[in-house]
Amino acid sequence: MIQIQNITKTYGKKQNVFTALDDVSIDIPDGASVAIIGKSGSGKSTLMHAVSGLDRPEKGQVIIGDKDILRLKPKEVDKFRSQKMSFIFQSFFVEANENCFDNVSLPLEIAEVPTGKRRQMVLDALAAVELTDKAKSKARNLSGGQKQRLAVARAIVNKPEILFADEPTGNLDSTTGEVIEDLLFHYNKENGVTLIIVTHDPDLAAKCDIQVNVKDGRIESVIHSNKKGAA
Amino acid sequence: MKMTDTIRRAGRSLSQAKARTLLTSLAIAVGAFTLTLALAAGEGSRQYADKLISSNVDPRALFIVKDKTIFGEGAEANTGLKEYEQNATNSQGGPAIKLLTEEDIQKLIARDDLEDVRPTYQLSSEYLSLTGLDKKYTANLSVYNPDIQSEAAVGSVPALGQDLGNNEILIPESFAQTLNISAQELVGKQLTLTFAKPSKAPTTEEINRIIATEGVAGLSRLGQGETRDVIFTIRGLTKQSQTSLTSNTAIQVSNAQAKVLSDYTTQGTDNYQKYLGVNAKAAEGKSPEDVKAALSSAGFAAQTAKDLQNLLFTIVNILQGIVAGFGILALIASVFGIINTQYISVLERTQQIGLMKALGMRGKDVARLFRYEAAWIGFLGGVLGAGTAWIAGTLLNPWITKQLDLGDGNSLLIFQIIPVVFLIISLMIIAVVAGYFPARKAARLDPIEALRTE
Repeated sequence: MIQIQNITKTYGKKQNVFTALDDVSIDIPDGASVAIIGKSGSGKSTLMHAVSGLDRPEKGQVIIGDKDILRLKPKEVDKFRSQKMSFIFQSFFVEANENCFDNVSLPLEIAEVPTGKRRQMVLDALAAVELTDKAKSKARNLSGGQKQRLAVARAIVNKPEILFADEPTGNLDSTTGEVIEDLLFHYNKENGVTLIIVTHDPDLAAKCDIQVNVKDGRIESVIHSNKKGAA
Repeated sequence: MKMTDTIRRAGRSLSQAKARTLLTSLAIAVGAFTLTLALAAGEGSRQYADKLISSNVDPRALFIVKDKTIFGEGAEANTGLKEYEQNATNSQGGPAIKLLTEEDIQKLIARDDLEDVRPTYQLSSEYLSLTGLDKKYTANLSVYNPDIQSEAAVGSVPALGQDLGNNEILIPESFAQTLNISAQELVGKQLTLTFAKPSKAPTTEEINRIIATEGVAGLSRLGQGETRDVIFTIRGLTKQSQTSLTSNTAIQVSNAQAKVLSDYTTQGTDNYQKYLGVNAKAAEGKSPEDVKAALSSAGFAAQTAKDLQNLLFTIVNILQGIVAGFGILALIASVFGIINTQYISVLERTQQIGLMKALGMRGKDVARLFRYEAAWIGFLGGVLGAGTAWIAGTLLNPWITKQLDLGDGNSLLIFQIIPVVFLIISLMIIAVVAGYFPARKAARLDPIEALRTE
């Protein structure tokens, strides 16, 4: 359960102050798939950053499990992220000059997973996204869809509890985009991982259990789909 | 992130920017090259100097003088003004130098911590002639030093510590060429040295008597003074070796003979039985340093073989310092290269850093990643520079030895693994220090800013 309580985030000072998030509260049950929908500048990315502990809102609490991650020390937040969270980005952010294996291995190295265990975990993750045969290929030689699959492999390799996806299909054509969507939802359902997708694509949002509409830093509406009951 | 993983990632990042890494490393390599050569040349020179001294000089040998300013010691050595002394000579044109008198010599001989006391006799002959040759020649004359091993080209030389016989003589091998006689033939030949007794200004009475008895011819004989011929047998021809400290172009005679001849040629002059210095040896079982201290309190000044070595080492160290200075300047320049490269690297990899931080990498680990990259650059530059210097030096050594006439088996450049390893480690540390600010910039990067794609 992720409890987001009354978070407020502002940028700038005095006259130029801009409120990116204004007293936002929402509960996300474990294993749910959540779409945060909104236009550019609506505050949806800021919301994701706040929940993942990358950003620190001035007010409010983000309680994951039993910890308020906004009150944790930076070191502990980093550790929390390295062990329990993962990210997928619109522009993939795979390291073009590294091979696929080393790309996927990065989160394990950061989380200080023992070297002996790593190899099998990386190969499992690559198998899950069907990139086993590309393990030794440089990431720059992959197609866009393959790069995003590689990013998915990197995101799932350390078996996270929460998976953040920031416009995961934004740079892909609809066919390859669907492959990525299927991978994400499949992983979400199979492993009970909480999936939080930031998007402005209503079709993608419609596939999620919960749709959170964000506008001007406030939650406009929360729609629970009928596939799964609200928590 | 674990250290090994960080080092591997740092290495991979560098290998992905090969040209840039290589160019930055080359700047360090220039410094490393110069420093390695400086180290090698310093070591080579020290070993050469050491060899020169230990193979030529008896470690117990001492050179004793009355006037410590000769060694550049004492306050007077620097001011140029000295108190007048009767037993002093200013034959060299400078301030007078205190000389040792026969009395001083007897005092030194009487000491039980010294043995083999030999004053430095000033010798000069009028001319020399060889049996069977019409021409007369002149040459430098010096006293044989038993503490310094000579090398014989032909014939023989005394063993270290032993003097020549009184009627024996050593001549330089170069004489054979001038005389146009083979060196083998010269050994055992008779050589006559002619010495002149200094002529005194005759008194009026003497002049009158000479003119009365011998006429004007007698007067000119009086003016010429008295001469004396001494016949020697050539024992050997000394080799002109590069590792020999003995003067190579002088005829050498024994000490006992030198005293007789010196007394003869200085009789009646100010320099009669006065000596600039004394060669001696510390008595068996006495350390030359202790003897030196004892002599110093007795009013003499002494130099040991070790002092001579230190003097040479000081020169070597200064030269080495100059070369090393250039290397250090090159390194300072390369430090800015590293800073620049690493800043560019941070800018280029903003997103990568952002991603790593989003994935939970600690700021200090990010900084460490960049510091290790800098260390890699330092390592690469050090290995390239030192390696090139080592290879080039090893290849050039025979040529340098030949050009500088160092003698076979001597090398100017001596490479040692430990100083080079230390050098490379220091370069890595310098590189890490240079990479400090770029690494800090990377560590402080805000992941949200870094990952913004809009």
